[in-house]
Amino acid sequence: MAGHAPTTPLAGPPTIPLLSRLYGFGSVFGKTLRDSRRAAIAVGLGMGLTLIAVSQAIVSQFATPASRQEIADLVAAVPPIMQGLAGRPVAVETLGGYLQYKYGTFFPLVASLWSMLALSGTLAGEARRGSLEFVAAGPIPRRRLAFEKLVAHVTAVVLAAAAIFVSIALAGTAFATLPGDEISAAQAAGYAVWLGALGLASGGIAFAVAPFLGRGPALAIAGAVTFAGFILNGYQNAIPELAPFADLTWFGWTADHIPLANLFDWQSVGLVAVVTVVLFAIGIEAFARRDLGATSAVPTPHLPRVLIGVRGPASRAFGEILPVALAWGIGLGMFGLLLAGSGRSFAEQLDEAPEFRRILEAVFPGLDLGTTGALLQLLFVEFGFILVGLAAATIVGTWASDETAGRLEIVLAAPLARARWALSGGLAAFAGIAVVTVLAALGVAIGALITGDDVLTPVVGTLVIGAYGAALVGVGLAIGGLIGTGAAAPVVALLTVATWMIDIIAPPLGLPDAIQQLALTSHYGQPVLGRWDVVGLCASALLALGGAAAGALAFTRRDLAR
Amino acid sequence: MTAVIEIEGLTKTYGSHRGVIDIDLVVEEGEAFGFLGPNGAGKTTTIRVLLDHIRPTHGRARIFGIETTTDPVAIHRRIGYLPGEFVLYDKLTGGQTIEYFAHLRGGVDARYRAQLVERLDVDPSRRFKEYSKGNKQKIGLIIALQHRPDLLILDEPTSGLDPLVQQTFYEIIREAKAEGRTVFLSSHILSEVEKTCDRVAIVREGRLVRVGRTEDLRDLAHHHVELRFASAVPRAELEAIPGVSELAIVDRTATMRVSGPIADLVRVAARHELVDFVSREPSLEETFLAEYGRMPGTVA
Repeated sequence: MAGHAPTTPLAGPPTIPLLSRLYGFGSVFGKTLRDSRRAAIAVGLGMGLTLIAVSQAIVSQFATPASRQEIADLVAAVPPIMQGLAGRPVAVETLGGYLQYKYGTFFPLVASLWSMLALSGTLAGEARRGSLEFVAAGPIPRRRLAFEKLVAHVTAVVLAAAAIFVSIALAGTAFATLPGDEISAAQAAGYAVWLGALGLASGGIAFAVAPFLGRGPALAIAGAVTFAGFILNGYQNAIPELAPFADLTWFGWTADHIPLANLFDWQSVGLVAVVTVVLFAIGIEAFARRDLGATSAVPTPHLPRVLIGVRGPASRAFGEILPVALAWGIGLGMFGLLLAGSGRSFAEQLDEAPEFRRILEAVFPGLDLGTTGALLQLLFVEFGFILVGLAAATIVGTWASDETAGRLEIVLAAPLARARWALSGGLAAFAGIAVVTVLAALGVAIGALITGDDVLTPVVGTLVIGAYGAALVGVGLAIGGLIGTGAAAPVVALLTVATWMIDIIAPPLGLPDAIQQLALTSHYGQPVLGRWDVVGLCASALLALGGAAAGALAFTRRDLAR
Repeated sequence: MTAVIEIEGLTKTYGSHRGVIDIDLVVEEGEAFGFLGPNGAGKTTTIRVLLDHIRPTHGRARIFGIETTTDPVAIHRRIGYLPGEFVLYDKLTGGQTIEYFAHLRGGVDARYRAQLVERLDVDPSRRFKEYSKGNKQKIGLIIALQHRPDLLILDEPTSGLDPLVQQTFYEIIREAKAEGRTVFLSSHILSEVEKTCDRVAIVREGRLVRVGRTEDLRDLAHHHVELRFASAVPRAELEAIPGVSELAIVDRTATMRVSGPIADLVRVAARHELVDFVSREPSLEETFLAEYGRMPGTVA
């Protein structure tokens, strides 16, 4: 009779310290949480400190009941189309109400962006780079693996939300100067929970889609759903036709949850949570049941062969950048179309708000408020700067991918001078910004045609976003050459956000004029109205061309990264 | 003969980390030169300096008489390079990728390129990201070979290739050599270098420890053999076999190190009733450690 090999009693597995299981290399959860630490700190502390800073600025700038009433009257006079992407104005004469109206609406977008990036990549990104093969080969069932990664991210979001809760509660206690300024713990918690829920819902889409389509498409779909929801919700009052679509989004569901203004709608937040849990469950099940790392291709139209770019380094770089530029350009174009097409509605709403009209006429003397250009200058350009800045970051990131992905090892083994590679890629990046700008201008042109207004001036004015985008690309190229291509896109994204923050925070904080002038966006004049400031254009040209030249020069002198 | 690659006192450090230290090396025109060493020895660092992808900390390298940092483009015009690890364009097909690199170089013989595609058995119509590791490697090889470069610099070229394709690759290398072209091949596989190279340099911990003819490598080649006999081990007979060393006997099992041909040992063992015969070729790492110990050696 054949015997079995004798079983040697094995020593039990080594005990892993609890701390290491919770944070460190003792478990999938601990490792994922550790990997999330920087993002959690950046989001939690960044938003928390910003909320504290602007709270302090609000109470010092509007220190009297009269000044608060002025603010409330001003906000009440703002027609719906001008409120746009700001929050619903409720109790804006209080610290909490104003905080939520002016700043609170944007912060869930930051949380959403973080969650989308993290949850699209936590499994799919790891599958793509191959490390998941090792992780999944371990003695951990796939469901548990996905669950631990997911719970780690949720924990990181909860920690960041807790920091925001503490910041708001602290600001509401420390800076409350007028009646109604106090922000209770329940209000602060209401905001933090809402922010976390919205962020995780967006991340939930990415997590559910990623096992089917992979990281990139999952991120794109989740981003499109999130930003479309945000814009639809923001403009549904101004354009009633958007309301049915806005009601399909969680921004729309939770429109009545304005906790810092003491309005709560916990049911809607609960609904978001339920949907999020369902999305998480789909993601876990899909990961457990599908082949590891196997994704289906999203049927997208292929670029014509001539645009794929195999003739040389410039055309190749442009071939890589073009899909990114088209995506950003179409998005910006749609936004421009939406706003330019609302020109007449804007004029009508201004007629119904004479008080606000007088304020605008005082701030912008000589501005013809009955034109599409006025609306675009007031709304499109500011948001367009942020979008084109992020577009510039992704375009620079695509340019940089030759080196960051390791392709440059082979590319530069060809008889291709380093400077030529850098300049060709830079040229392609500028061409990408041109594509974004032209599509944005096209959207504005169509919108203006629909309105029956002057087309040429706003279309030419829209080119200002191209000047800003080119300047940022120039900065990215310089950083890529001087420091490393891996740093280029993050620096451009940070610069975009910093410029935007200077624009919105510096005035209420009363920061010195010199700091406010650091924002390039403050030097363009009112281009959509035909009033250009040469300083901004010259600075942009200098940054664009100088950055490209400096980057190319520096790139010839440093080692290639691997 | 003309020197194609000349490396003089090359040192490359990454901050406090060692890359390579004081390398001196000459590769002559028309020879196939193997650059052997364990992982992390400094092979890829040396190659990247040759390509001017990184700059020397000290010393210099010349290819075709041109200093690598002076005019790398002139050098690149005449070389074909396959990195040890690489990524190409996910969205392009293999064919488009090859075409792109052909355009970057110019002067590629389309017929030869088509031959390479056929010989290496790769489907050029698939997107790069859909390829297996081996097929990606084939695309890299075609990119390196398609313009018939004067100097081929290949870093771990057979990584991921199946044995049949490896044979095809060896044939291509022999053809290149027969046409008078120079091959600089980095590898950690001893047998691969033996099959393709005339001379070999061995690098370990950033230093050259040996440079010589490939035949000399055979001194390094040895086997670990384990023989299990049905009766007592014929110790005296085994000890008398040339090349046998480190003989150890436990009960009826003998283990030993055999340098050179193993035929004598097989003949002796066959005279006895054998229960088992296990022969294992040690890894290069083991060979290096056995041969050179831990301390860097000198160039032979």
